[in-house]
Order: sequence, then structure tokens, then C-alpha cells
Amino acid sequence: MSTVTTVITSYPPTADLLEARLSVSFTYYLNMLERIPGGLIILRYIRSSYKNDPIRSVLELILFLFAVHYFLSSKRKENKSDLVKFSGREVDELNEEWQPAPIVEPVGPLEHWRLNEYHVKGHSGSHVEIEQKPELGTVVNLSSLDFLDLSGDSRMKAAAMDVISNAGVGSCGPPNFYGTQDVHVRLEEDLTRFLDAENAILYGQDFVVAGSVIPAFLKRGDLAVVDSGVNVALQKALVVSRCDIEWYDHNDMEHLEQILEELDPILSKKKPLKRRFIITEGLFSYSGALLDLPKMVELKNKYKYRLFIDESLSIGTLGDTGRGVCEHFGIPRSEVAITIGSLATTFASSGGFCVGVAPMVQHQRINSYAYVFSASLPPYSSKVASEAIKIITESVDASGKSKLIKSLHQKVAHSYSKLQKKFANSQYFEVVSDGNGPIIHLALKPAFRASLDLPDYYGNTVLLTTGKPSRKLNQFSEEYNLECYILQQIVDNVLGAYRAWINREKIVYEQESLPVQNPRLWFHVNNGVLVAELDAAIGALFDVSNKVCSRLRSPNDLTKLREELMRA
Amino acid sequence: MSTLIPNAPPDNRSDEAKIELEYGSLQSPEFLYVSKHPAGQPLPTPVDDEPPYYVNVATLLSFLFLIIIGHIRDFFGKIFKPYDYADLIEKDGYAPWYDGFENFYVRRLKTRLDDCFARPTHGVPGRYINCFLRQRAPQLKYTYNGESTKCLNLSSYNYLGFAQSHGVCTDYALKTVEKYGTSACSPRSAAGTLDKHKECEQVIADFVGKEDSLIVSQGYGTNASVFALMVDSQCLVLSDSLNHASIRFGIRLSGAVVKPFEHNDMRILEKIIRNEIAQGQPRTHRPWKKIIIAVEGLYSMEGNLVNLPEIVALKDKYKCYLFLDEAHSIGAMGPNGRGVCDFFLVDPKKIDIMMGTFTKSFGATGGYIAADKWIIDRLRISYFNSHFGESVPPAVLGQIISSLSVIKGTMNPGEGQERLQRIAFNSRYLRLGLKRLGFIVYGADDSPVIPLLLYLPAKMPAISRKLYAKKIAVVVVGYPATPITTSRVRLCVSSALTKDDLDYVLEQFSEVGDELFMKYRKDAPRMKLEDVLKTNAEDCKRPGFV
Ligand SMILES: Cc1ncc(COP(=O)(O)O)c(C=O)c1O
Repeated sequence: MSTVTTVITSYPPTADLLEARLSVSFTYYLNMLERIPGGLIILRYIRSSYKNDPIRSVLELILFLFAVHYFLSSKRKENKSDLVKFSGREVDELNEEWQPAPIVEPVGPLEHWRLNEYHVKGHSGSHVEIEQKPELGTVVNLSSLDFLDLSGDSRMKAAAMDVISNAGVGSCGPPNFYGTQDVHVRLEEDLTRFLDAENAILYGQDFVVAGSVIPAFLKRGDLAVVDSGVNVALQKALVVSRCDIEWYDHNDMEHLEQILEELDPILSKKKPLKRRFIITEGLFSYSGALLDLPKMVELKNKYKYRLFIDESLSIGTLGDTGRGVCEHFGIPRSEVAITIGSLATTFASSGGFCVGVAPMVQHQRINSYAYVFSASLPPYSSKVASEAIKIITESVDASGKSKLIKSLHQKVAHSYSKLQKKFANSQYFEVVSDGNGPIIHLALKPAFRASLDLPDYYGNTVLLTTGKPSRKLNQFSEEYNLECYILQQIVDNVLGAYRAWINREKIVYEQESLPVQNPRLWFHVNNGVLVAELDAAIGALFDVSNKVCSRLRSPNDLTKLREELMRA
Repeated sequence: MSTLIPNAPPDNRSDEAKIELEYGSLQSPEFLYVSKHPAGQPLPTPVDDEPPYYVNVATLLSFLFLIIIGHIRDFFGKIFKPYDYADLIEKDGYAPWYDGFENFYVRRLKTRLDDCFARPTHGVPGRYINCFLRQRAPQLKYTYNGESTKCLNLSSYNYLGFAQSHGVCTDYALKTVEKYGTSACSPRSAAGTLDKHKECEQVIADFVGKEDSLIVSQGYGTNASVFALMVDSQCLVLSDSLNHASIRFGIRLSGAVVKPFEHNDMRILEKIIRNEIAQGQPRTHRPWKKIIIAVEGLYSMEGNLVNLPEIVALKDKYKCYLFLDEAHSIGAMGPNGRGVCDFFLVDPKKIDIMMGTFTKSFGATGGYIAADKWIIDRLRISYFNSHFGESVPPAVLGQIISSLSVIKGTMNPGEGQERLQRIAFNSRYLRLGLKRLGFIVYGADDSPVIPLLLYLPAKMPAISRKLYAKKIAVVVVGYPATPITTSRVRLCVSSALTKDDLDYVLEQFSEVGDELFMKYRKDAPRMKLEDVLKTNAEDCKRPGFV
């Protein structure tokens, strides 16, 4: 036992004294321990694991006792002290009195207009018929995410029908229980090859991917540094994962660097190492901005973060052959630790996917909820997506560009410059996206919005400032609703008078945990739409927006608009 | 030999042969039954027989061994085979993807029976399922020789046998692809709503007996987003302790306070409700904004039915709302296949939110929410799935509409009735047979989900492999998906199976059960296989069989 007492420390004398005392009694108890059966093993364990440092051992012991105490008592005690004692009759009365709120908020008169959505009659391709407006005949569809117009392609349809006539429609089982078919594996291989990753995994719906992947890797205590312009799927995923969140200004690499720099000394002290991610989107669905990937990669390598990118909108639209932001910037995919994407946009199928290194994907096969607890993608959808990848990559011109993608890029560039020129001296609208993505964003100009007394932003900043989501959902915002309604009038009129169907941003306002920007009009460029049709739609959009907005001269006019809604 | 999963080998069988392999024809009208709960009678509480105590002890010891050996292997493995543990160690300043603790059961239990999971298949998961032959290679890899074997399918959620590549439903689905293309690509609110969606939603609303419905492209996704719409942190959700992961995830996402209650225990549920209404929210004691009871119709791991009549009485009495997930019961339960309401003769109007999936009985994919019109209106505006995530693709719409029409009898009259009565008969037949052979099975008599208890973890791979060798595909489930001591085989019965198929299953189970010493049942004498088969077809139609 002598070893225990001869610890050499550099503590001040009082501490020395204390320690010596402690050591003596500690030794005594350790000696006792030796006598009980199995005590020797424990003794050796204590000795070796704590390197014969008695103070630390005592501390650990106290902690251990505290933990035991906590676990034994906490549950009951906490609840008890918080509970009020009622007699049986009082409980009956309270039950009698209680009046719950309705199960969901009924749709009020101010929101009712949002229920009038257009339905496509037949195939939703680049040119569609609208059920509620049969008098229009065929209209140009500038609202679809099928940017390459593949959903009606005969080869795609043949692929779907081939699988359906061999394997039926549904897979009738989760992937881990006989739900994995050859076509699923083929698609995983195709995606792996297409995106130059190590492995890929498929999901049954694109919206659930983020919410399932993020909580599989980020747990309490882990760190996510997140762009403050991310979509709601990522916001919710982060909240559910319970990790620590730091926000940087939307797409602002300087701010990101500043935050990483500030965090660095704190993190370097933490042992063991916690997982840390930077979470962002390739092409932001809310703002339309393109991620500054080269700078991002430099930063994440410098500070040793893993990079998570939601490429739902960028894969299939950016890069020479549609391989997303990495190809766009000429950066290898291996720099991105986790990439998630959708099969339901340019691949004209359904479902979502995630690609990255093999152990990461393997972990999801057992720990990612939406993969484990849901049926696999219908086999035909897998085949269709594989076919889409084939179609996109097979016709490549001399410069290495996919012909389909090239054509889309030309149409996007054309529309973007046309829109910019057209709206350069508009009083009301401006183009607010950067021209990289196939969805071009337009929003009301700040000066015009100010003249109507519309606020700079909507929603709340609780999550942004505290890192914890607000306890309450966003309240219905009359102004936000009215601003959306103005945009909808433009959409309706462009459609009615010019037979072009554009889209407006649609989010679930109540559920947004981040500040909400002013709503936008979305001009979805579609490869199946002719340049002349794009031009006509842009002209129409300009005329209609002027007409609709010129009626709004003061906040008073908004009040009138509100009354109009109440009356409708 | 390759480590890549091969393509489906060509199939030269005639159409008739294929049809028969996907959906066996009915052998006799004797083998039909109408499942219905006798009105007014209480739900019989399934008595779960207990295994002999030494089985419990052995089970716990098994896990103890597993854990100890696992730790020892980890300890030495990290020293002597660091390469195998590379994923668990921090590298160049990056934390590992996951820590060893999170991953312990996967490494130390699941890898040992890895070959029993995710067997790759091809073709229709119908009466038979085609599994690729594979051989285990190091590092959790497999080698394939390109061939596949067809196994009797007791694993797929193909209750009504609609997983088919031939027949009216497939024809209809193919036509839908022809007309509507491969996908609508966009969310519902952005050019993603087709006329077919509206048609489908009306068909479902009519089928389940609600005013309106909304369909989503994935069942999991339906649940994952729906709670956020109904509840926030000032609301309480009372969730059955065995609810599906999608429900639990959805509740977590909503931020509501959640109190799980003992599975199907109505007395405890009532006590909780009374107390919670009286106490109100924690700390502030303000009244709860609303209380939602979340249950499933048919629990997929237990085969238990929800006690619907009592739960409806409770929710009416205490002004709570009821969320009912019919993922497994819709189509499979009730004389008309309309789920547990049909089975218990409960008016669907009493249930506030009816959720279900198309993945199981209808051979399609996706989920729905059916409710009063004013509720669905709110969903159309404020549900994540209306604005994000792709809409249900056309082929799936075709499969849903046509399979529902078949069940209702408006398409190919008679076919739907037969399917419904076959699943009812088959479920009861197999369940009674297994019970009489001496196995412990859980769940309600009419449930098409039949969990057969194994207890000992080592029996999971044993039975799965033995049955697989006899060409029967089953699913084994153990901890952490079930409580630690109740590892089980889960059989999903289908209308597509014939009585001969079920007899074969009973025969093989009996043999394997003897071999592996799994006939644990104590509360009734064990019967011989011949005796069971002799009278099983009549006996299984009697109410309250043992
Ligand atoms: C009760 C329950 N709800 C929801 C789901 C999810 O359905 P899907 O497989 O269509 O995503 C399941 C599937 O296993 C389930 O059992």
C-alpha cells in the first residue's frame, strides 16, 4: 500500500496536508476492500485506472455516489414536489371543466384562398392542362421540379413498366427484411458511381432524409455549425438531434470563419473529441443562393469539421454532367462527408438518398429511422432513377458536357438575364437569386415593401439567438399572409391571361424556427419549355406584376386587400 | 462468384405459372372466414404464456455472456486488430462516425446473425419470394453465384396478396404510368397535384368512412410530420409504449410533452388522463391545450389489436383526441377490410385522425391521413408533406385506387371478398396450428401478424437459417427492437398462401421446433402434427380457440 501514500505532487502545503490525510484513510479503506471477495480485482482496477491519484479517486467516488443517489431519487422526488394533491372529487371537477383547443387550428377566412390550388389534368410535364381552368387548354409549366422534363420520357416510362410487370408496384417490406431488391442495389451503385462516392443509401421520400440522417450522427453534446438560411427539414432535424448548434450568417464565409476561430480553443480542450459538422445546402431552397464550396472546404479542413450538404436541388442541375456543387466547382466529392439528395427532381422518380464514405452509410442501414422503420422504395422507382442517370450521362459532347444539362443551363442563363433586364427598372420586383439554380427567385423590392409598411422579416429569432427552438409556433401573420396573397394574384393572372404557370414560395410559416424572409415568386426553368415560351412568360410576369402592384400604394390598400379576403 | 448482388435471372415460366407463384389459387371454399369482433363483447386480453423459468434465466445469461465476451473481444481486438476498429477511433483530429457504445449491439450481436437480415431479393414479394443465394465472406461481405431460390414468403407485409405482376391492379398501374409518366416530381403545392391524387383521396376517404383524406408518398413520413401540425410544447401526447418508431419520431419532432402508457392498458391510461388534466402542464400548472392519445390498430411486433371500443369511450369521456395508425390493420382487418373500426363496429367518426399506409395490404407505398374536411383543409395548408417532399407517384396512385376498388368489389367483383376471407382464415389457421404444436405466440386470434417467441437470442439465427434451408422466409427480431428477453420470429400471413402452404409451414416449424427445443407452451397440452392438421381447418373457425 506504500505506493498510494508516496504520490509526489506540487500542490501548496495545505493541499499536501489534506491529501496526506485523505491518503491515509483511503489506504485504510482500500485495505478493507482487499478482504472482501472480489475486492482485489476492484482494488487493482481502482489503482490502475486512476494511476494512484487519491484525490481523483475520491472525487470519482463522490460522483459515483451522487449518480446512484440521483438515479434512485430524482424521478420520484422531482415529480412529487411538483404535483398538487387533489381529492377524487376535485379531480372529477377539474376533468369536467377542462376545455381543449381544437385538434388543429381551423382554416380562417383570411387563409381560405390558399386552399385553391391548381390540379394538373393528366401528366405533369412541361406543358399541362389545369383541371380548374379547362378553358386555357395547354399551359406552360414553370412550377415543376422536373427540370429536365424526364417524367414523360418514353425510355423512363418503359423502365417503370418493365419493373412493374416483373415485380409489381410496392416492395412490401423494409430494406432489412427482404425489401432490398436487385434494382435497389443497382441504383445505389449508380449513385455511388455518378457522384464518385464510396457508397449510397436510398430512402422512400426525399423530405425525411435530413431528419433521419442528422440524428443518426449528431447526438447531445455534438456540435453543428449551421447556415442560418437552411430549409425547414434541416432545422427540424437539428432540433430533434439535440446537438449544440452555432449559426453563421447565411452563406457568409467570413462569419463562418470567425465562429470556427472562436470555437477552436474551447473545442480543443474537450476530450474525448466530439463529432462536429458544418451543415449547409448546395443550392439553397429558400434563397436560391449557391454555396461557396471552395472557401467552405478550405475552412472545414482547417478547423477539422465534417461537411454535410443538402443537394436536393443541385444534383442533376449543377455541373457539366449534373453531379452537383462539387462538379460545378471542380472539387472532389470526398471533401463532402455527407451528401443528401432527392430522386424526385431531375431524376423524375421518387424518394431520396444519401452518399458518402462506407462506414457512414453502413451505420445508417441500422441506425437511421426512416431507413430501418419504413418500407423500401418501390422497385420501379429505383429503376427509373437509374435510367435517368443513364440518360443524363450518356450523351456528352466534346467538352464533356451532358447535352441535356447543357440545354438546361442555357435556358436558365437565358431566363435569368432576361428577367434581370426586364426587372432592372421595375418599381416593384427584383430578381434576388444568383442565376445558378434552375429556380429563379423574384421578390418585392425593399422600397416598395417599406411603402406598404411590411416588416423586414417575419417569424422569430429564438432558435438563432438561443440555440433552442421557440416553445411556441409562429403565430399567424396577417402581413405575411397578405404578401403571399399578392404574389398569388400575380401567379393567377399570369396563368389566366398568358397561359404560363409560375410558382410562389410555399413554406409552413408556423413551423419555421428561423427568421422568415419575405415571400418570393419562383420561376422554375424547365428544359421542355421553348425559349420563346420562356420569353413570353417573362414578359407576362413583368406586365402582370406591374398591374397588380400598381394598385397597392399605401398600407391602406393592404387593409382593403384584407377586407377583400374576409368577404370572399 | 462475385461480391456484387447480381441482376434478376431471366424467368421463362409461363404467365399462368407466375400468377400461381405470386398468388396461390383457393383450394376449397372451406378455407374462408369472415373476421369480426362479436359486438358488445369485451376484447379478450391475450394471455401471454410464460416460458419455463430456466429459459428466462438462460436468456439473461446468454446476454450476459454476449456482453462480457463482446467487451473482451473489443478490448483485445483494439490491441491486436486495430484495422477492424478504425471506424471507432478518432483519426487526424476527427471524431469517429459513431462511438463504440452506440454501436455495441450491432457489432457484437447483429454481425453474428447478419446473414438473416437484408437478404437481397428480386421480383414480386408474393406467395413466394426470390432470394439470391449468397455465401458469407470476411468483413460482412457476401459472394453471389447469380442464382436465386424461391422461398415461401411469410415475411412481407403482403396481407391481401396484392403484390403481383399480373392482374387487374398491375394493369391499372401500368396504364397510369402510360398516361401520367413516372413521377409528378414536385410537392403537392407546386405542380405536384394530379387529378388522380384527388380521385385517390376521395376513394380513401370513402373507404375508411371519413369526409376527406390526404395522401403522402411514404408512411413513415406521414407520421413523422403530422404531430408537428397538431401539438406543440403546451400539449400532451399519450403514446402507447409499443408505438411504431415513426409515431415516436413525429411526437419528438413536434416538441410536445409525451407520456408513454403501458401497452393497451386502459386502466392505466384512464388514470394518467385524469391525473394529467387535473395537474395541467408541469411547473406552470396551466391546463393542457389539448391531449392526444396515439395508438396503432394492429401492433406489428406483438400482433395485438388496440382496445378500440374502450379507448373511444375514454377519449369521449375526457375530451381527448384520438390518433389511430392503421398501417397494419387497414385492409387486413374487418369483414370489409376497412380496418379496426370495421372489425369492432366502431363508427369511424369517433376517431379524430385516422392514419394508415399503402405499403402493407395494398401492395403499393405511402400513407394517408383521413379526417373531417376542416382538419384535412388545415393539412393541405400547413402540413410539411403538402409543400416539401414529392407527391405520390402515378403508378402508386394506380395501385392504390385499383386495389381499393377490388376490395370494395367495384372492380372484378368477388375477388376482394375472397382476399379478405382468405387472410382471415389463413391467419387463424396458422396461429391455431402453431399454438397447438406447443409454440408460444402473441397477439389476437384474427391478427395476420404472428410473433412466435424464441426468447434465447441464439435461436434467432438458428431458426432463420433452418427455415431458410427449407425454403421458408421469415423475419427474426430481437433486442433492441423488442424487450431483451423476448426475441421472436415474426410471421406475416398473406391471402396469397394456400392451405397446403400453411400445412408445410406447420410441418417445418414442428420439426425445427423439436430440434431447437422451442415448444415452450405450458398452459395446454402439446399436440402431434398429424392431430393438429386433421381438425385445424374447422377448429380455427371457432371463436376463442386454444
Ligand atoms: C405502425 C406503422 N406506422 C407507419 C409505418 C411506416 O410505413 P411505411 O413503411 O409506409 O413508411 C409502419 C411500417 O412499418 C408501421 O408499422
